[in-house]
Amino acid sequence: MKNYLAISLIFALFLFSCSTENKEVVVYTSVDQVFSEPVLKDFEKETGIKVKAVYDTEETKSTGVLNRLIAEKNNPQCDVFWSGDPVRSVVLKNKGITQAYQSPAANDINKVYKDAQHHWTGFSARARVLIYNKSILPDSLVPKSIFDLSKKVYQNKFAIANPLFGTTTFNIAALFNVLGDEKAKQFLTDLKANGLVIATSNGDVKKRVVQGETACGLTDTDDAHEALAEGADIGIVFLDQEGIGSLIMPNTVCLIKNAPNSEKGKKLIDYLLSKQTEAKLAISCAQMPLHKGVQVPENVPSLDNIVPMHIDYDKTAQKLEEIQEYLKNWVEN
Amino acid sequence: MKNLFYIVFTLFGILVVLPLIHTLFGIFFSGDFFPNIQQFNPETFNLLFKSSLIAIATATIATFLGTVLAFLLYKTSLSSVNLLKALLLIPLFISPYILAVAWRDFFYLSFNNTALISSAAGTVLVLINIYSPLSVLIIGSALNNIDTQLEESGLLVTNFPKMVFKIILPLIKPAILSSFALIFIFSISEFSVPAFFGIKVFTTEIFTQFSAFYNHSLAILQSLLLILVCVLLLFTEGRYLAGASFLSMGSKGTKSKIYELGKKRNSVFAFSILYLIISVFIPFVVLFIQSFKYGTEKFIEAFNILLPTFSNSLMLAFWASVFTVLTGFVFAYYSVYKKHSILNKLSNWFLLIIFAIPSIIFGISLIKFYNRPELNFIYSSLAIVVIAYTGKFSFIAFKLIENSMQQIPKSLDEAAQITGIAYSRRIFKILIPLIMPALFAAFILSFIFNLGELAITIMLYPPGMEIMPIKVYTIMANAPQALTSSMTLIVFLISLLIISSFYLIYRKIERKYSPLFKMQ
Repeated sequence: MKNYLAISLIFALFLFSCSTENKEVVVYTSVDQVFSEPVLKDFEKETGIKVKAVYDTEETKSTGVLNRLIAEKNNPQCDVFWSGDPVRSVVLKNKGITQAYQSPAANDINKVYKDAQHHWTGFSARARVLIYNKSILPDSLVPKSIFDLSKKVYQNKFAIANPLFGTTTFNIAALFNVLGDEKAKQFLTDLKANGLVIATSNGDVKKRVVQGETACGLTDTDDAHEALAEGADIGIVFLDQEGIGSLIMPNTVCLIKNAPNSEKGKKLIDYLLSKQTEAKLAISCAQMPLHKGVQVPENVPSLDNIVPMHIDYDKTAQKLEEIQEYLKNWVEN
Repeated sequence: MKNLFYIVFTLFGILVVLPLIHTLFGIFFSGDFFPNIQQFNPETFNLLFKSSLIAIATATIATFLGTVLAFLLYKTSLSSVNLLKALLLIPLFISPYILAVAWRDFFYLSFNNTALISSAAGTVLVLINIYSPLSVLIIGSALNNIDTQLEESGLLVTNFPKMVFKIILPLIKPAILSSFALIFIFSISEFSVPAFFGIKVFTTEIFTQFSAFYNHSLAILQSLLLILVCVLLLFTEGRYLAGASFLSMGSKGTKSKIYELGKKRNSVFAFSILYLIISVFIPFVVLFIQSFKYGTEKFIEAFNILLPTFSNSLMLAFWASVFTVLTGFVFAYYSVYKKHSILNKLSNWFLLIIFAIPSIIFGISLIKFYNRPELNFIYSSLAIVVIAYTGKFSFIAFKLIENSMQQIPKSLDEAAQITGIAYSRRIFKILIPLIMPALFAAFILSFIFNLGELAITIMLYPPGMEIMPIKVYTIMANAPQALTSSMTLIVFLISLLIISSFYLIYRKIERKYSPLFKMQ
């Protein structure tokens, strides 16, 4: 009798001792922990509000927290979702998981990077870039346009991440919006016929190019920046600067509907959308500020100097849902 | 004491089984069932067939290797046998995903080609690498328990090879089949290795539905097909073996016969070392080189990153392992001593189903059940993770302990009963000391699996909590390879240190109960 009482007691104590306080802000983020954690720690220091974060992993294709948010819809535990791209925020908006919040901190951010109903707001952007291994690809052969990659000269020399997940999905959906379905499908068919390599992730694309397994690949600016920081002999190209432009992908932040600490959540959103956060992300992962006048290191390009792909982020995310089945077939067959 | 048993059954039923039933009922009655079930097509079954083939190949080769190695390690006079046994276990400590990365890097660095490893065959190779040690443990324990007299009698009438085929193999057949079944279930449920190599299997399809289409209902229905395959396999095995054991960790009743290798000693030793080089040395050296490529800086950085996670992770794995062993013990007791009760049969199947269900689906079931205001005290605490780990790995503990219990002569308990010794005293003074090796083995295996579990943890860990596998995987996304490899090495070293400490504690307990151990 005594024994089982003791065990039950231990179990009960364990249950209760671990329960969380309700005096903090809870953020779920798909942004890599190495970059997001320092920003959240700074918010804690500056405001005294405790931040409880849930980070995502590469192994789950950074969809773990998104699925968790969907599963938690009826009793949200999270206040703020900080996404590395607009797609996930749009998915949440479409599923009725977010609520509108118009942050004063985002007043001077271009409306292109904001949801019309204020369910999500963009800040610090990455771009889709081509990285190439300098020892394999001479300057004269470096592609200038994404459409060059279907040419014979790049046969079996080009990699992209699995387009069913992450920023690659958004990149493809943007192409569908810009080119139209028919042309985009033809382009993807041509790429496949040209021996395109489908890597596990953007990180995998980076690794393959750095190691010289493939000559070039499409990835995000933060991966490219990381490779350069590690001393890799690679070059970076913003594609289609004389054509459709490069895809710009802002981080996005949204307030969760019925968030348990929505006021503190709004404070965190304001902080994330501030110039100082953009400056920090420019230093840590070469992300490009959307506010004007943010001081950035020399290696961070300015959006003023890049021709962006002109897309409607909301419509691109809708397009994404339409083409997922096609993309699945394209990847698998 | 009986009350304790009922409490464990009830808690397991409410905390672990009910969430799963709740989710399934939710799908069946929500209107999602028929639209999603219509999406099953021949391709679905082809994929299930492909996954089954990969799992069969893995289980067959790993079990074959496990049988050969177990024989060499447990039945021959091979030198440095204890060291070899310990080294062989290393792949169990390293996550499948990290091992896949290490193997791919090895193929690139050695052959400048990754196409060979990024294939179905490569997937099988890595899975064999991971699960062969399990097979060695299972079959080695069975070999330990063979009655010496049977082998010696066999050798009197026939030669050694015939004796092996006619006596030893039939005697360890249950262990061989059990090794096959367990590795099959692990392999068919594995997601990270085929996904990393770009091989489309049934688990990657479930993941795609889950993470690209956000169709949770279809993903759950697909995972039911996976469970069905596992249930059918174990049902067939159960019918064939009629209750034979999975693992046997003790050596009850007799002393195991050891065969002198004579002139073959060196070649057998060379074979063992070759296996170790392929399965342990290669991936481990790749990790080691990557960790210290730029000196010790990244290793120290990795240690500092992981330092805040140690206490949470170890405490979590410890408590979950305690509850897993307790659950395994109670279920095993009922399985051995109350064989025909309906409660026993039902609960055993539930243990299997929860073990076989993809972790991510089990995680979603727990969220859907526990994420409600009245249960927030569980959902927002580490208790939810403990419940998930206990549910997931109790099947393994149950099988280990059940087998050990089956080897104890019932006459011991009956004799104690006749002399009027109380029920609880019989359990604590007779049964538990006799199955102590199995309890320890179950605890250690649970600890290893709990410490490395990622898919469930990422779905359930409380916000703000620092947990080791989460930290490793969240950092690795954009971290230099040296840092990622260093973190993997540190996780391995910490696990080894803790498990060695547990072993020392266990040895003390063993010495305390030595008169009883000698009875085995």
